[in-house]
Amino acid sequence: MSETSNTAQIAVDTLVNQIDSDIASYLEACVHCGECAEACHFYETTKDPKYTPTYKLMPLVKVYKQHKSPLRWVTQIFGGPEPITEEELRDWEELVYDSCNMCGRCTLVCPMGIDIAGTIRKMREGYAAAEIYPDGLKQARKNVERTSSPMGVTEKALLVQVGKQEKETGLKIPVDVEGADYLALLSSHEIMASPEIMGAYAKIFERAGVSWTLSTKAYEATNVGVQIGSGPLAKQLVQRVVDEAERLGVKYVISPECGHAYGAIRWAGPNMIGRTFDFEVMHILEVLDQLRAEGRIPKGERDSRKMTMHDPCQIVRRGGLLNEPRRLLDESCSNFTEMKDHGITNYCCGGGGGVSANPRAEELMVGAFGNKMKQIEELGEIEAVVVPCANCRGVFEDGLFELDREDEFEVIGLAQLVADTLADDPKPAE
Amino acid sequence: MTFLEFTEGPMFYLAVAIFVAAALVRVIGILRIGKKPDLAPARGSAAMGFIKGNLRHFLPRAGFAQRTWMHVLGGWGFHLGLFALFFFAAPHILFIEKFTGLSWPALPRWGFIIAAEIAFAGLIVLWVRRFSDPVMRLISDWDDHIGSWLTFIAMLTGCLALQEAHDGLRAIHMFSVNIWLIYFPFSRLMHAFTFVLSRGATGANYGRKGMNP
Amino acid sequence: MTMTSSQPFFIRLLAVLSMLLGLALGTTMADAQSSVRPPDNAVNQGLTAPLGSQSDADIWRQLKQGGIGTPSASGDIPLPMAPGRPDNVAETFWKEITAPARDASATSGTPRVMQVLGEEWRLLRRDYILPYAGWVLVAVLALIALFGIVRGRIKIRDGRSGKYIFRFSMAHRIAHWFLAASFILMAISGLVILLGRPVLVPLIGKDANAVLTSAMLQGHNLFGPVFILSLLIVIFKFMKGNFFQWADAKWIAKGGGLLWGHASSHHYNFGEKTWYWVVVIVGLIMSATGMLLLFPWITDVLAWHQLSTVLHAGGAILMIAFALGHAYVGSIGMEGSLDSMLRGEVDENWAKEHHDLWYEEVTGKKVTHEDEPEAAETAEGSA
Repeated sequence: MSETSNTAQIAVDTLVNQIDSDIASYLEACVHCGECAEACHFYETTKDPKYTPTYKLMPLVKVYKQHKSPLRWVTQIFGGPEPITEEELRDWEELVYDSCNMCGRCTLVCPMGIDIAGTIRKMREGYAAAEIYPDGLKQARKNVERTSSPMGVTEKALLVQVGKQEKETGLKIPVDVEGADYLALLSSHEIMASPEIMGAYAKIFERAGVSWTLSTKAYEATNVGVQIGSGPLAKQLVQRVVDEAERLGVKYVISPECGHAYGAIRWAGPNMIGRTFDFEVMHILEVLDQLRAEGRIPKGERDSRKMTMHDPCQIVRRGGLLNEPRRLLDESCSNFTEMKDHGITNYCCGGGGGVSANPRAEELMVGAFGNKMKQIEELGEIEAVVVPCANCRGVFEDGLFELDREDEFEVIGLAQLVADTLADDPKPAE
Repeated sequence: MTFLEFTEGPMFYLAVAIFVAAALVRVIGILRIGKKPDLAPARGSAAMGFIKGNLRHFLPRAGFAQRTWMHVLGGWGFHLGLFALFFFAAPHILFIEKFTGLSWPALPRWGFIIAAEIAFAGLIVLWVRRFSDPVMRLISDWDDHIGSWLTFIAMLTGCLALQEAHDGLRAIHMFSVNIWLIYFPFSRLMHAFTFVLSRGATGANYGRKGMNP
Repeated sequence: MTMTSSQPFFIRLLAVLSMLLGLALGTTMADAQSSVRPPDNAVNQGLTAPLGSQSDADIWRQLKQGGIGTPSASGDIPLPMAPGRPDNVAETFWKEITAPARDASATSGTPRVMQVLGEEWRLLRRDYILPYAGWVLVAVLALIALFGIVRGRIKIRDGRSGKYIFRFSMAHRIAHWFLAASFILMAISGLVILLGRPVLVPLIGKDANAVLTSAMLQGHNLFGPVFILSLLIVIFKFMKGNFFQWADAKWIAKGGGLLWGHASSHHYNFGEKTWYWVVVIVGLIMSATGMLLLFPWITDVLAWHQLSTVLHAGGAILMIAFALGHAYVGSIGMEGSLDSMLRGEVDENWAKEHHDLWYEEVTGKKVTHEDEPEAAETAEGSA
């Protein structure tokens, strides 16, 4: 029991380094009330107590009690925890990766306000350092190391899609333009599955008179490092964007409709590379909201289908963009209904935090997605669901396919919807 | 020295000293672990977030009320009842006055009884749930149970001494309270202080993002 | 996949705590001598010396009887022969409680000094309740023990199937244990209050009993309302399924399956339903009488208070007796019963055997009893 394998030792050392005073106060304050289970869609859909969010933290709690907790020299007289073993860490792998989207819903119900999602993120650092993480994410990591995109999207593939969109829209999609104001990032899911978004950007920015560009060096916004929990990899991916943005001399970097990508560069990015950026990071919804407020992208005829919106956790609850998407929606569709838990209390689609890249977790993910579907069903005949996150859209597509209900409604991005409902009468170009 | 004199004298001083010193060491120890400054440009105020976070989590969000009502009622009932007993029971005020000279109005006897009822009902409900709910059973450890029991015993012995007619009963109460004080700073009972840090940490992080979950 | 904190910690801690507690109790008992109350010989001298060694009650009775004759030294007159006893107790009681409210200032109405039922009440307590209450419980315990020895643990006939069916929700279980916990506290403290003098004084002495009774009285008063709360929750939570049904008559006819063959039952059998209604009726009576004893100013009709003490004591004995039986059958007496309140689910074979109609309702399967041996044989076999 006392002998620790090298793997376990690496994990423990990394975890000890991850524990800051925030994490310490979380682990100290948890009173084991179990309320968090009531907020977790994985517990709710399985009713298996092991999916209780705070239970997922147990290995970290053990490490904390053994190596970091104040007064541990006293409590350990009465028998502290046994050193953590590799086996235990592996036992918990499923809980740390497969059954946590890091969506942060549990925090809402926690009487101690513990940020369990953020703590899981730190735990994954230990797991990633010890290389205990799902094969799906290992594959994604390989792809990233080869092409900078978890789906293996190459520069060439990007340019092909750009070409197609230019043909389709008749608009120029600027690439690698130095001195542009905005550098737009995309998620690989968008590039491959919904390249129309590039056309949509072109249409909107053309209308608003915004100078923007894509980059062949930094087109990928997703950050597998954050999902895996590998600090070094995450830093490398952020650094790539920062270098390119500063080389092009842009004022703003636009994070696309992709959940964790936004948090990775907007909130975690500067901390990863250890300095503030020379540019400002904005989410595409922020940019659109601002352009609309300035009157630069007037609304046209609104979409009259019955619609609702799925709030991506990392953009809304954990990203801070609660009102922007709603203001945009107000002006883009005329028959909008909120689902039961919307905004800050939304349910995750089930696939966030790397779960959708982890085939082993598919059953759990589809089960959790069932929760979302239930809420959509409660609204009656919904014709389209606005999902401002490419990863969530992918989960919706997979989930609807698994449930064999693909034809029930359209899944649409918000920027796409804004582009589609832009006023028809373009002002004469200046 | 009678047992009562011992529990109200040397043992009480020792217990309080351990309680204060260890609780301080614990809280300062947590803070001293430190954290790196957040370099991401803020959207809102971290300090406001700290305060809002602390207030916000007194109640779960409305959507959860139905699923967590037992904890909300039990938790609030227990804690409010306990605080009322703790600070406003007449013998407690006299006891504090003896040491500090400070005094304030006490609860009338019926108020004491109602507070005690609520506190006991809440504690029992929470504890029963701890050993019968599969989720709570899985995540609970000995510390949780010992903490509940010591608190229960301290409250119970206090109420058993309510007639204030026997030194023995008063001494048993003092003794159990001393044990409770000594156990407190080494255990999860410390949530009484750490909750501020925990809620505040989340509140501050989210406050910077302009959110208040 | 479990990760509990290590055992030695708990054991060591428990050892330390129990040592300290032992120390505390030891000193406390010694301490009881130096209680703030004057020692009891002082009390005797101070209060009763002028009147001799007679009890207050004896003196009052003398007064009532006109001070004629020699009252028996300890007032040990059997109840039916007690002097001053009203001819018709029930009628007198009725008159007492229906009489118009009397003005205590005695400026109107009929002022009265004596209340005729007092003696009745006092002797009822002294001659019947106090001497027999304890023995009733001892007898019940003996009966249970006898049953346990003769019948043995009632095994699941076909053994455990390993498959479980849902029986009680978390809310039901919590309600149950909440009531159980408060009931046990009330029962223990109540018994000390009721039987401390005859049972505990010879064992632990007057001083210790005084301390203990003071503590138990406060505890009893305090937990009473908690008990009422938990009782009300249980009454509402468990009402569904506890109304008597035709199957219960058949169950009685078959002696509950213990005597004459298999007795079918729904979610609850006749015994369980009876227990439920005992809890409801006696529990509510205990609550009402308890509240009256706790808040005596609710009424100034003395007869209500007298009735309350009698009902409260009698009801307590009845309920504790039932609870003992319930606890026995629910735990060690019958294999598989405890699961229903711990896990919330029961073994399929247990359900088939004890609650076949319920089993059929929830599973939609039929239960056959053809291959069952006669219950009497089973009883013999396992004895």
